[in-house]
Amino acid sequence: MRLPNRSENNAIRALKRTSHNFYQFWRRFSRNKLATISLIFVLVIALIAIFADLFYSYDFVTANSLENSFLKPGESGIVYFQDKEINHKFILGADNYGRDILGRIIHGGRVSMLIGFVAVAFALTSGGILGAIAGYKGGWIDTLIMRLTDILLSIPMIMLSIAIVAALGNSFINLLVAISISMAPRYVRIVRASIITIKDYEYIEAARCIGASDMRIVFQHILINITAPIIVQSTLNIGAAILNTSFLSFLGLGILPPKPEWGNMLSEAREFIQYAPHTLFAPGIAILLTVLAYNLMGDGLRDALDPKLKR
Amino acid sequence: MSKDTPLMHVTSLKKYFHTSHGSLHAVDDISFDIKKGKTLGMVGESGCGKSTTGRLLVRLHEATSGSIIYDGIEITKADKHEITKLRTRMQMIFQDPYSSINPRHTVAHIIGEPLKIHKKVNNSQEYEERVRNLMSTVGLADRLYDAYPHELDGGRRQRIGIARALALDPEFIVCDEPVSALDVSIQAQILNLLMDLQDKLSLTYLFITHDLSVVKHISDDIVIMYMGQIVEIGPTEVLFKKPLHPYGRALLLAIPIPKLNVKKERIILKSEVTSPINPKPGCRFAPRCQYVKPECLISDPILREMSPGRFVACF
Amino acid sequence: MDKILEIQNLSVNYFSDKKIIRAVNDLSLDLKAGGVLGLVGETGAGKTTLALSILNMIRGPQGKIIAGTIKFSGKNILRMSKQELRNMRGKDVAMIFQDPMTALNPVISIGEQIAETVFKHERVSRAEAWKKAETMLDTVGIPSDRAKEFPHQFSGGMKQRVVIALALACNPTILLADEPTTALDVTIQAQVLDLMRNLIRNNGTSVLFITHSLGLVAENCDEVATMYAGEIVEFGTIEQVFGKPLHPYTKGLFGSLPDLSENLKRLTPIPGLMPDPMSLPDGCYFSPRCPCKIDICDTKHPENINIEGHYVKCHLYSSDISIRNRI
Repeated sequence: MRLPNRSENNAIRALKRTSHNFYQFWRRFSRNKLATISLIFVLVIALIAIFADLFYSYDFVTANSLENSFLKPGESGIVYFQDKEINHKFILGADNYGRDILGRIIHGGRVSMLIGFVAVAFALTSGGILGAIAGYKGGWIDTLIMRLTDILLSIPMIMLSIAIVAALGNSFINLLVAISISMAPRYVRIVRASIITIKDYEYIEAARCIGASDMRIVFQHILINITAPIIVQSTLNIGAAILNTSFLSFLGLGILPPKPEWGNMLSEAREFIQYAPHTLFAPGIAILLTVLAYNLMGDGLRDALDPKLKR
Repeated sequence: MSKDTPLMHVTSLKKYFHTSHGSLHAVDDISFDIKKGKTLGMVGESGCGKSTTGRLLVRLHEATSGSIIYDGIEITKADKHEITKLRTRMQMIFQDPYSSINPRHTVAHIIGEPLKIHKKVNNSQEYEERVRNLMSTVGLADRLYDAYPHELDGGRRQRIGIARALALDPEFIVCDEPVSALDVSIQAQILNLLMDLQDKLSLTYLFITHDLSVVKHISDDIVIMYMGQIVEIGPTEVLFKKPLHPYGRALLLAIPIPKLNVKKERIILKSEVTSPINPKPGCRFAPRCQYVKPECLISDPILREMSPGRFVACF
Repeated sequence: MDKILEIQNLSVNYFSDKKIIRAVNDLSLDLKAGGVLGLVGETGAGKTTLALSILNMIRGPQGKIIAGTIKFSGKNILRMSKQELRNMRGKDVAMIFQDPMTALNPVISIGEQIAETVFKHERVSRAEAWKKAETMLDTVGIPSDRAKEFPHQFSGGMKQRVVIALALACNPTILLADEPTTALDVTIQAQVLDLMRNLIRNNGTSVLFITHSLGLVAENCDEVATMYAGEIVEFGTIEQVFGKPLHPYTKGLFGSLPDLSENLKRLTPIPGLMPDPMSLPDGCYFSPRCPCKIDICDTKHPENINIEGHYVKCHLYSSDISIRNRI
């Protein structure tokens, strides 16, 4: 039997398999037009957020320029910045301090999304590990972990955040911690439930029968089968995390002005709702569209990844 | 080991599960032997404890009490290290080809995993060679190396399970209803395969099934179980010609025969199967037995040897 | 004898992902009044699709009956109005589904489930319907004082008996039994079938008994049809088909059965697999696996040949001389 270059062959085959799997997934996903648009939207704003500095520099959006306060969207004004006089067009208008709203939105988005991703990643790892242990081992350790989770779940995120911020101060890190902790229980539950479901399947028994260690079983057999619900939950959670960030900042518990963040922008704009509504709408719509996009994308992912749904 | 010593010697094996309703006697004091190179068929209906027994033999369950001696080694008392070594000698083929293989692994991964776990191969070249060999031994087309289970039908999936069980060159295989989930024509293909493999590789089988017609073809001896206990043991030919235990007789007669004008003595069993939880003393089959006598309800019948190799538990 | 059910040239397709799955292909079958017809076939042959078609329960857009007629006492089921269908189902044509675990509603008591169907179809009061339910339960061997209990409180065999009671409660003219005992142990199976036989005989019900077990057919049916890839390949009385099976597939089925009486060491399975319903072969659907095939089998689909009431779809029995010469 012909046995060609081993590693080359394996790599090529693995690549082919992966791309084939992805292609299958894409076919199912792209059928949901709304989800596809949301995905594109999410990717676009992520890119814009990453490359925020190419559009507006951070200093620019945090510097006051009172002469330009409340300029309407599309209007232009003179801005004195870094010893230069610039005739700047305010695409989405200016806020109460004369800062460019669009610029602030872009930079604010950066913060929101960063927290969104990192908080979810953190919650996923910690919650996931705990959930895996609880689900796989069962017994008293399961009870212990689940009761702790229940306790965490019974504390409203707001209160937890207030407590953390009050104790440790307002900062990016503390906001991250607060949101991660309140999100972790969701993952504990999901991972635990998935593991319990799969634990008694025959192929797990078979794995034990051929001598697989517990570690091997959990990582190679179980986790690989529960990625779908976790991915879906994560996209939805990112949306939730962004919303929570905004919420907390709105209340003054997270990112404080002048640092731009959608929530605190909303908060500042409250007073001027009648006078200069554009200061309110811009961040509000930004939050709305972003969270909506993540949710729709998550829905689409779930439909595409669920093997049981009839096509 | 002398030629007459059985490969698998089970004595007074018990497995009780604790439930909120009481103690479930899944396997209640059974004893039997399996000779090397032979097939012992284990027959019974759902809930009789045959699957549990199979799993006890390969240590997927822990026995409540009793002894299982495999080639001189006491399995119930083996430690982790010994068990890992034993795994290379005893394997299991599972019932449901749809849930006994991991849907996210390729055929090659599933079959080759035992090799990786027990470090039986030194490099990926050897690995691939051995996996491909196994595939051809069980009749799986070579092009399926990278296929996923959901692309294949039940028969092929079951072959994957068989290849996986063979990967470590075991001596003893527990076949837990390996053909029950398959269509009749595929059943025949797989049964033939199992019999060929037994001849080629000198395997010893414990063949668990509820289908008496299947077990007749593949077994040398048969054990009939009911409610966790053994009610009859005997060589296949003899047992089929004349089952002694009333349950054995009812079981045999209940099988639909695909022939015309077969006059069958109909034994329709009365009432329902009793519960295996906290069983009362007395023969467990008594409530359904047509030959029931007063003594059947009081004391447990013991397995007596009627003739060499032929045992019955009945008054 | 009268024909109570006449299926003519039925074709049913399923649509998935722009592909067409040909589940039933130009199928014709008759059920005699008061007779028990066994329909034998393996997984994928299309048996359940056929049963659902008789009740006109094929749901679009995934499934569609694209051709044929199904006449019940002369009336075409496929042309009935929704109201007529509702009246027919449960009363004139009843179905026993394969899995007793999921065929019963878990949150309604068994007595209530039976009473409901009686109430809907017969013009009786609720009290009378309940009485009928209790009677039916007694008939199937379940003490009627358990009528208020729920399905999960019963074993598999008992659940299936409840399903049978449910199906026979309104004394239907036709009973479609789709693998009614597959999920049951062999001794319980014997019990349940014994019961069914009595009930059917007493009520004169006509039965379409779908199964993959030739043994069950031998014991319970008068006539038998073998189904393969969506069509009937052989049909005849039990004596005809069991005495002398004609179609190579039927013969193959008999050959792959482990036989209790003979001492064959090796079984003779049918090589290969059933064809993919999305791409059926030209000519005879069985030809790729047939040990007796001739060249015409690959190109021309065989006709239904009648040999004294024993029907077979196979070129080997063709009366056409030009074909016979090629065998």
